[in-house]
Amino acid sequence: MSLSKPFLNVFLSLHRFYSLFSDLAEMWSSYPFREIIERARKGVDAIYPADLLKPSIMLLKGANIYKQPTRYATLDELLLLPPAFTPLRLKKMSELLREPIFSDVDLRHSVGGFNVNMPAVVASMGSVQVANKISLEIARGAARIGVPMGIGENVATMWGYSRRVKRNQPSFKERVMTYLESLDGNVGGVTIQQSVEDAYNELWNRVYSDPDIEPFIQKGLIGLEIKIGQGSKPGLGGEVRLSREEAERLMDKYHLSEDPRSSARESIERHSAPGTFTPEILRGMIRMMRNNYPRCRIWVKLGPFRDLPEVLNVLTSEGVDAVWIDGREGGTGMSPYASMRHLGLPLVAILCHISRQLESRVGSTSFIVSGRLYDGGHLVKCLSLGLDGVAFGRPVAVSAWVAGSRGVENYLKTVELEAKMLISALGKYHVRDLSREDLGCLDRDIAERLGVRYVYS
Amino acid sequence: METEVNVELQRLAEVLRHSWKMVRTPRMKTILKVQAVACDAMRSYLKSEGFIELLPPIIGPVTDPGIRGAKQATFDYYGREYKVMSSAILYKQAAMSGLGKIFFMSPNVRLEPIDSALTGRHLVEFVQLDLEMAEASYFDAMAVAERLLSEAVNTVRDTCQRELELLGRELLTFKPPFKKLTYDETLEYLRMRGVKMRYGVEIPWDAERFLSKVIGEPFFIIDYPRGARGFYDREDERRPGILRDFDLIYPEGYGECASGAEREYRYERVLARMKETGEDPRKYAWYLEMLREGIPPSAGFGMGVERLTRYLCGLEAVWEARLCPKLAGIYSP
Repeated sequence: MSLSKPFLNVFLSLHRFYSLFSDLAEMWSSYPFREIIERARKGVDAIYPADLLKPSIMLLKGANIYKQPTRYATLDELLLLPPAFTPLRLKKMSELLREPIFSDVDLRHSVGGFNVNMPAVVASMGSVQVANKISLEIARGAARIGVPMGIGENVATMWGYSRRVKRNQPSFKERVMTYLESLDGNVGGVTIQQSVEDAYNELWNRVYSDPDIEPFIQKGLIGLEIKIGQGSKPGLGGEVRLSREEAERLMDKYHLSEDPRSSARESIERHSAPGTFTPEILRGMIRMMRNNYPRCRIWVKLGPFRDLPEVLNVLTSEGVDAVWIDGREGGTGMSPYASMRHLGLPLVAILCHISRQLESRVGSTSFIVSGRLYDGGHLVKCLSLGLDGVAFGRPVAVSAWVAGSRGVENYLKTVELEAKMLISALGKYHVRDLSREDLGCLDRDIAERLGVRYVYS
Repeated sequence: METEVNVELQRLAEVLRHSWKMVRTPRMKTILKVQAVACDAMRSYLKSEGFIELLPPIIGPVTDPGIRGAKQATFDYYGREYKVMSSAILYKQAAMSGLGKIFFMSPNVRLEPIDSALTGRHLVEFVQLDLEMAEASYFDAMAVAERLLSEAVNTVRDTCQRELELLGRELLTFKPPFKKLTYDETLEYLRMRGVKMRYGVEIPWDAERFLSKVIGEPFFIIDYPRGARGFYDREDERRPGILRDFDLIYPEGYGECASGAEREYRYERVLARMKETGEDPRKYAWYLEMLREGIPPSAGFGMGVERLTRYLCGLEAVWEARLCPKLAGIYSP
């Protein structure tokens, strides 16, 4: 049997095209031509991945961090391992007088001094236009579900404390009050970050003496969050791209990449300082906060730093309410390529680093992690390792863009449902029952470091 | 939200709505007379000790940040930001560097958290006798504080018998030197009596009131741990983590009378300490420049005049000791 001649000719010419194309593609991919051409054409604008797309799309999409030269382990390396014998299911049955199902799982918990309906936190989103614009939708959705929400740095300084400085951008207090007024009872809480620039305007003092917020302070629903870094750019401060007019308005308060009055560029980067810490400074700061704001919870957000165990020692001995660690996978919306490629530990490595601290927990400090986590499986794996919750950033932002506060609620409900299914599959019905026995790992070294079983052993 | 606190706040707001009339009542007239006698006594004592009274600056680009969660009153000053003094600490160091021993009767404004309105000991606007002495230790400052307070109390007791009778107040005789408890001893003292608190934070108001009641005489709490105080309280070099500072406490449950310290005057140390409070050093430009050029070591304290009056007259709340008082969150004349 032979192919007809015309068909063969088409096949051969297609093949020639394909070979040419794949040769070119190979050449293209064997060296970062595109990146270097971008640098040559656009100068410093090219060090952020934001310039091919509109910044707003980029922020929601995040950077393509897994396609980088060095690939690292993610939570996919872990599997949840259900048993056949489930004594806790029997116990639950005796409580319910019927066979328990997944909807009987109780996800209510306490995270960082707040009661929560599920052990998740909506990550602190800051002043970046795209996040601020949808912040009220996020606030409503998070509050209705009953999970805590963070408010990131620079919101009050950029968009006003209570009065809007720009018509389509909510002010700081709108974000706080929208969340608090949408809460159902005393479940949830809002945490507030203060950058060096916000400190200039005494943001925390202002919150603490605000008569509208006072009733919620009385109820214990307000937290203050020290930020010592974030995932994709540990050791660097917040980076935001501003339009020229916005940059002009804020030039007294921030360090800008260039003078907006004389720049020809459409947008200008606003840099803020990363802050300076030593063990003494951190300790002093926490004590100062306890003195000044005795009725607020104290949260600390950390980036993927190599000295995490040392930092955690300071934080747990000072008894902060929550420590939140962001892996290098987190916050990739507006980070320079260089930091995403070269800085910091991946989340799984962080979990290995702090494994011992998670195992021998003393005191009441809650531990939270984040960084490309988006489903119920991620949540349950983290809880099994001894964490008290996870923080979701981008998934919540995307949901709010797509379907407003209803989208945020829908999204969080899917996570909740998945978590309930998985926990019940493990034969457990409460967050506190989860433990390392529920996990297996595909990698022998990681399994050993995390103290979980190696699946092939 | 109709909590008990809110009901109480509304009641106070109603009382203060006509505060300008209170000065005509026999009670308030008596209180303000006693206050004047006490101020005269303190001024003449300090004069005899070689202190110079200066007129205090009341606005400036920065003010005292060590005010426990209260907010500073900020206003627009020809397009730039300015503050009303929350205390004159920064200016008193400047004044001391020229004149050595100085004091102000310094008006302060602090936008205190709302829950302070009902403590009976917080005002949004008040006056403190703010004193600083060059080349002095905190022990020197405490010696001045205890003699100053004794002078005020004993003078009022001896010369205002009629007023005190009208107020139904009997005063103890103060005899310096006063007892000194370290912060650690105070915690231990409280712990033995079943009051638990975390190390490293200020002694809470109710614990302070408890101490003030049971100790039965005026006393100092000294050597607070770092973190509990502003960046200007000096750390003891031989005991890292311990500050060379003090609070003076009234007896009979009246709580804090004065607060003072030896000052950290070295530029680099102040800079590091500022970071602990999350402060932006840019804001303190003139102060840091002054420190970098160098000022003498010093010690000093501030003593609230209305709280002193409250003690002297045995008042329930400090607002009774002030003409047209301002309380957190209450809009009044």
